[in-house]
Amino acid sequence: MNFLKKIIVLSILMSPNIVNADFFEDISNKIVNNPKRLSYGISVADIDQNEKYEFIVTGFGYPNLALSYDKGKLINVVGQKIFSDEFRKTIGVAACDVDRDGYEEIYFLNTDTYSGAKKYSDRLIDFEGNKFLDMFEIEKNKKELNLTAGRSVACVDRKGNGEYGLYVSNYGGPTRFYEIEDNKIKDKSADLNLDKVTGGRAVVSGHILTDRSDIFAANERGANFLLKNNNGFFEDVAFDYRVDDVIQNGRGTTLSDILYRGRLDIISGNWQGYHRAYVLRDNQFKDIGNIKFDKPSRIRTIISADFDNDGYDEVFMNNIAEPNKLFRIKENGIFEEIILQTGLEPGGFGTGAAVADIDGDGILELLVSRGESKEQPLTLYKAKVKKDSKYLRVKPLNKYGAPARGATVTLITDQRKHSKTIDAGSGYLCQMEPVAHYGIRKNEKNFKLEVKWTNGKKKLINISELNKTITIKQK
Amino acid sequence: MKKIFNILVLVIVILFNFNSFAEEKNYHKELITDWSRIFPDQNRNAAGPKFFKYIIDKKITYKDFVEFNKLYCAVSGSLIDPDSEPDFLFVNESETDMKICGNYYKCCIPCSCDIMKYSKVQKMKYKFVDGIKEFFVFTIKNPCNKNDFPNRVNKDYFCDGKKINDKQVYNLNDQIVIGLLHDGRNCNKDEIDYVKSHQVTGRYCELRNNTPLENLDAGMGDIFIKLAR
Repeated sequence: MNFLKKIIVLSILMSPNIVNADFFEDISNKIVNNPKRLSYGISVADIDQNEKYEFIVTGFGYPNLALSYDKGKLINVVGQKIFSDEFRKTIGVAACDVDRDGYEEIYFLNTDTYSGAKKYSDRLIDFEGNKFLDMFEIEKNKKELNLTAGRSVACVDRKGNGEYGLYVSNYGGPTRFYEIEDNKIKDKSADLNLDKVTGGRAVVSGHILTDRSDIFAANERGANFLLKNNNGFFEDVAFDYRVDDVIQNGRGTTLSDILYRGRLDIISGNWQGYHRAYVLRDNQFKDIGNIKFDKPSRIRTIISADFDNDGYDEVFMNNIAEPNKLFRIKENGIFEEIILQTGLEPGGFGTGAAVADIDGDGILELLVSRGESKEQPLTLYKAKVKKDSKYLRVKPLNKYGAPARGATVTLITDQRKHSKTIDAGSGYLCQMEPVAHYGIRKNEKNFKLEVKWTNGKKKLINISELNKTITIKQK
Repeated sequence: MKKIFNILVLVIVILFNFNSFAEEKNYHKELITDWSRIFPDQNRNAAGPKFFKYIIDKKITYKDFVEFNKLYCAVSGSLIDPDSEPDFLFVNESETDMKICGNYYKCCIPCSCDIMKYSKVQKMKYKFVDGIKEFFVFTIKNPCNKNDFPNRVNKDYFCDGKKINDKQVYNLNDQIVIGLLHDGRNCNKDEIDYVKSHQVTGRYCELRNNTPLENLDAGMGDIFIKLAR
C-alpha cells in the first residue's frame, strides 16, 4: 500500500506542466459605467499630474477614457473632447515625457482605415492648466501630422538624455519618429533611416542589445525589425540575430527576463502563427517556447508580469474570439501553462490589455479591452494571491522627474537576478504602468536593486524593507 | 505477484510522464524560422530544390529528413500546412522508365499533375546521422542552358553559368533534386489503375496536362513547367 502511495505522489510530482487552480478573480464590477463598446489599446500614466496612475483606454468610434481608482471603484475622470475624441477611432496609445517638463504626454494613434492613407491624424495630448491640448494642432506642428494608418507607438530615449521620441509603427506607409526639436514636433524618421514601409504592428523599446534604447518592431507581411542603437542612430540587425520571422505576422510583443538572468529577452506573438520566446545566446536569439506556448492563436496583446506575487512572471496571452492563455515562467525558461477559468473569455473579442497596481494594494490589476467586430465591456481581473505574499515595486524617474520609460530595473537576491523594463509601449497597442513590480519568492533574501537608466549608467541600492513602492530618481 | 504488479504500475507511470515531458520536434516551425536563410531574396518560386538542399545539409536522422520533406511543395516552393494529406501518384524513373509509386505532399492539386508530367524519379543513397538510407527523389533536367528560363525564378539558385549550382541545390547525376517521393516503390497494376482513375491524378491531370501552356492559370501556372520541361 505504501508503495502505491509513493507512486501516486511520484505521479503528481511528475505530471506535465499544467496548473489547474483558478488563478484570477473577476473584479469587473469595480468599473463604474462599463457599457459595451469598441475598445483597443490601453496605457497607464498619470494624465492629470496628481501622482496617481490612470488606465487610458482607447475607443474606436467611442470615447477615449481615463479610468482612475477612487473609493474602491474605477471611474472615468476625463470628459474634455480633445481627449475623449470619439470620432477619430483611436487604437494605439503610449505616454512619455516628450517635452521634458517632468510629466508624460499621451500619443493617441488614430486609424480610420486598415492600411495606407487615413483621414484623421494622430494626437499628442499635453496637460496644461487643467486643460488638455493636442500639440499637433499648434500651427507650427501641423506639417508633421501622421496621416498613415498605424497600430502601435513606443517612446524611445535614443540619445539617453531623457529626450523621448515617439516611434510610430505605421501600416502601409513609412514609420514615423517624432521628437521635439527647437520647440517644434519634427519627424526624424528619414534622418534616422527608420522611414521603412511595412505592415507595422507592435513595437517595444529598451535595453535589448546595447546600453541604450534599442527597438524591436514586430511586423506583418514583412520582416521584423531589430534596431540596434548606435549612439542614437539605428541599424536593423533582425536577420543577423534571427528574429526577422519574415513569413509570420507579428502581434503582441513584450520584453521579459525569461531566464531570470538579469537581461531582457523578447516574447513575440504571431497572428495564427508560432509565438516566440526569444532568448539571446551567442549573439543570436533562440526561440525556447515549448509546444504549448508557441501554439498558433489569434493573438493580440502579450503581457509578462508577476500577477500572483510568487516571484515568477506570468505571460498573459490575450486572444481575440479565442480563449486567453496564461503561462508561468519557471526556472530555465520552462513555460508552465496555468489553465484559466476566470479570465478565459472564450467569447471575448480581446483587443488589448494592460497591468497596473491601480488600487495600490501591492497586487497587479489586469484590464482587458475588447471590441473590433463586436462591442463588449471592459473586464478587470486580479490574481488570487496568498495572504503572506510579499512584493516590491520600483518606480524610476528620469532627470526631468518623469517616468524613466525604457530603463531596466533588476532585482538581485540569493535566488535570482530578475530584470524588468519600464514599459516604453506599445507591445501591441498597449503600455503598462511605469513601475517594475516584483513578487517575492519563498525564503528569498539579500535584496538589492539595480537601475540601468536609458543612458546605460547604473545605480545599485540595498533593500531593507519589502511591501512598498520605491521611487528612484536619476541624478 | 504483488511486487510485479507494483513495478508494472511504476513503469507505466514513468513512461506516461516521460512522454508528457518530451518535446516533439516542430519541423514546420523550424522551416518558418529559417525561411529567410533558405530564401535570402525572398523569392521561393519553383524553389523546392532549395528546401531539399537545406534539409539534407542538416545533420539529422532519416526520420527528421522524411518529416521535413513533407512540409514544402517540390513544384511551387510553398510551405505546406503540417496537417496536409499527400496525393498518391506515380512518376517514371529516369534510368528505367519504370513507374514508381509513392506519396507527394503538395501545396495545391495542379502541382501533382505537374510533378507527374515534368519530373522523373531517381533512387538516391545518403548517409544520415543514424545510418545510410535509400529513397526515391524527384528530379528535373539541368535547366541552365534554357533560353526561356522563367524570369520569375531566381536563376542563381539553380545555376552556376550553364552548370547546376551544387552549393544551392542538390545535383544527382546532373539532374536537380526537387523533393522527396515518400514511401516510393515500384508500382503494381492496382496502384497504377488507382492513380489513373483518381479524380485528381487521373481525370483532372489529364485535362490540365492537355491544356496549352499559355492557357494554364492554376497552380504555379507555367513557371515550373518552363523550368522543368
